[in-house]
Amino acid sequence: MQEKLDRQQFSGDAVKVVSFHLGSEEYGVDISQVQEIIRMVAITHVPRAPHFMEGVINLRGQLIPIVDLRSRFGMPRAEHTKSTRIVVTEIGTKRVGIVVDSVSEVCNIPIESIEDAPEMIAGVGTEYIQGVGKIGARLIVLLDLTMVMSGEEKRQLEALEASPPTQ
Amino acid sequence: MSDDLFDRSEFVAYFRDETEDLLQEIDANLLQLEDFVSSERADPEIVNALFRGLHTIKGSAGMLQFGSIANLAHKLENLCDLLRKERMPLSEGCVDILFLGRDVLKDLVDAAIAGREGDTAGLDQVVERLDRFVAVYEETSAVIDGDLGPTHRFEEEAQEEIRAAGNAEIEAFEAEVARMLAAAQAARRDEPPAECAVRAEPVRAAEPEVAAAANGVEKPAGEQKHRANTHQTIRVDIERLDTLLNLVGELVINRTRISDIAETLDRSFGRKNGAADGSAGVLVPLAKDLAESSALLARTTSEIQESIMKVRMVPIGQVFDRFPRVLRDIAKARHKEVELRISGADTDLDKTIVDEVGEPLMHLLRNCVDHGIELPEVRERIGKPRHGTVALNAYHEGNQIIIEVTDDGSGVDLERVRARAIKQGLISADDRLSDREIVELIFTPGFSTAEVISDVSGRGVGMDVVKKNITRLKGVFDVNTEAGVGTRFTIKLPLTLAIIQALLVRVADELYAIPLDSVIESQRVEMSEMRTVHGNEVITLRGQVVPLVRIAEVFELGGGRDPEKAMIVVVGLQGRQVGLVVDAFQGEQEIVIKPLSDVVGRIPGISGATILGNGAISLIIDVHSLVSEANVNGRVARAEYSGV
Repeated sequence: MQEKLDRQQFSGDAVKVVSFHLGSEEYGVDISQVQEIIRMVAITHVPRAPHFMEGVINLRGQLIPIVDLRSRFGMPRAEHTKSTRIVVTEIGTKRVGIVVDSVSEVCNIPIESIEDAPEMIAGVGTEYIQGVGKIGARLIVLLDLTMVMSGEEKRQLEALEASPPTQ
Repeated sequence: MSDDLFDRSEFVAYFRDETEDLLQEIDANLLQLEDFVSSERADPEIVNALFRGLHTIKGSAGMLQFGSIANLAHKLENLCDLLRKERMPLSEGCVDILFLGRDVLKDLVDAAIAGREGDTAGLDQVVERLDRFVAVYEETSAVIDGDLGPTHRFEEEAQEEIRAAGNAEIEAFEAEVARMLAAAQAARRDEPPAECAVRAEPVRAAEPEVAAAANGVEKPAGEQKHRANTHQTIRVDIERLDTLLNLVGELVINRTRISDIAETLDRSFGRKNGAADGSAGVLVPLAKDLAESSALLARTTSEIQESIMKVRMVPIGQVFDRFPRVLRDIAKARHKEVELRISGADTDLDKTIVDEVGEPLMHLLRNCVDHGIELPEVRERIGKPRHGTVALNAYHEGNQIIIEVTDDGSGVDLERVRARAIKQGLISADDRLSDREIVELIFTPGFSTAEVISDVSGRGVGMDVVKKNITRLKGVFDVNTEAGVGTRFTIKLPLTLAIIQALLVRVADELYAIPLDSVIESQRVEMSEMRTVHGNEVITLRGQVVPLVRIAEVFELGGGRDPEKAMIVVVGLQGRQVGLVVDAFQGEQEIVIKPLSDVVGRIPGISGATILGNGAISLIIDVHSLVSEANVNGRVARAEYSGV
């Protein structure tokens, strides 16, 4: 298997990540890609959108699409609870909110304790994973958001755009 | 001057805008000039205007090193000069060659801007014709003057003339170029370049010097004048205006929210002043203040919004201006005599719509001349004036602009259209169609009644495209025709595309907005009034069968059907009606359209979204795509022809 972890992409000796829970797993995204974390708000359903697209929200006058990470990763959808959060990420110029079960903390993961991703983690394809960080007994799966948002979603969005124009 | 000194594209953009206007003016001037052909003497005012326009183009093109443009403009200028000095009679041939030259000039300009090589064959041809045409008279005038270097003399005299005339446009352009050039040079001299916009002083100081270097013309102290001129109007990138409009949209949304809050506060504290306890006691005056401020904010916001909308508004005359020329050419080619009457050219509408409406209108006008207006002999025989009249009229009506294109020609020949449609397999010989339905056939893609394909119209790509373009602009298109009397095309367009009136409806748990311009009526319908035709629900409204589309089902929103009644919004689309079934009506509201496609991709049936006063998002239903979808599924078609 190809070496997934490119240590060059992490500058310094540690990565700062926002970690969150999805089912029994703990995930982390690079803090520089996180714009803010908000409580669950009313999500407006968008009919005919890709299945993992939960809808859109109004974030201070801006429309932000909301992706349900659970369905994105093929996990069963969960009821929203008091701890459910929307992590608003900024990938390139695009803002996307991702729904997570709960947000744990911002933590530093030393580079040397990051390992390559194993073949499969809870149904998440390895293409979305930059590596797995270890802090004591905790395992934090580091997500590559660019891939998370660009793989299937991009194809689906493109398919939508390729459909005949609305006249 | 080398090209890498400055950002050339900025100059080219300026050149494009300016030249576009000038070519338009030249066109209008030439049309006026044509009226003087019978008297063989041109109105000096017009010729001077022509001369100035060509001269400006020449100068600008020269500066940007568009050699062929400058050259052609120069030759045309020479011709005008002969006219101006009355050394050449004004003839039809002369006007024709000027028209031709202007067209080739336009092609060259378009090519140059696109960074292409122009049509050199066309250029060579027209230059040769011009040379031959001018040569005869130049010789004569040389003899009269005893001057052997006419071309050179024209050049100098022209410069002088222009300066004397104090043509502000030229000076403004030159000043603008000089300013940009100076800015570019200043930026290069003193880094960093990002600062150059702020540093007004050194730029201005460098101006006269650079200007002189730029085109070798000495600049007199007429600077005050052209500076004043540039202050009156500025060209602004439409994108900047769009951004501004978006921001105002935000402001409008927040204004509504603040009004809501003020109202809630007022309800809670403002009125029960007697029972004010400690905390409420503070809130009572605050609530009052907030209500006042929010009312003021509302007024100011509305004014800002209105002003910005006005900034985006341009008179439709911008589009109309090029039609006289087009009509003249077609009429000439078809040997018809046509007069174009334009009214309402100062009617304002949104810039984006103005840009889009030109093509469809042009096509309608061509159709009027090509298919509507009869040949002069025919017209005389049937007792009409030789001159056909095509009228173009625009006016406001409520929140819409109405554009009418009327001709006094032969009208649409329904029998011929029918026969043609049968021949092309669009309908079968035993279809019984109403007159209206036959007229509608001309909008079918591929339909054409023209026996011979001309270069004007008749290729069968026309009326369907016209209709499509109008529909895309959320406009409505209608035709009225009477055999022997004429045809009237009516186009109704919204004044702007960014803010619309909408009917809010609830479907399942979501709010949807339906643009009010496509809503005909909304009403409650009992189940007993509904019928089924081929498995599709329909209702009968005033004798017309209206197929129903259940929003909850086409959008798969869940929720069962109400067994007793349905709330129906009847929308009109191309003369057809469709009833959208919703759960409840939530009133009308002005909404600001936000595009959704850059957020979640294009979704059929949804044209955008809007944020309501309470912060909730409402998706905007794309009536056209929903209805045509239903149409494709055969629902509309079958229900309509089953004759319930």
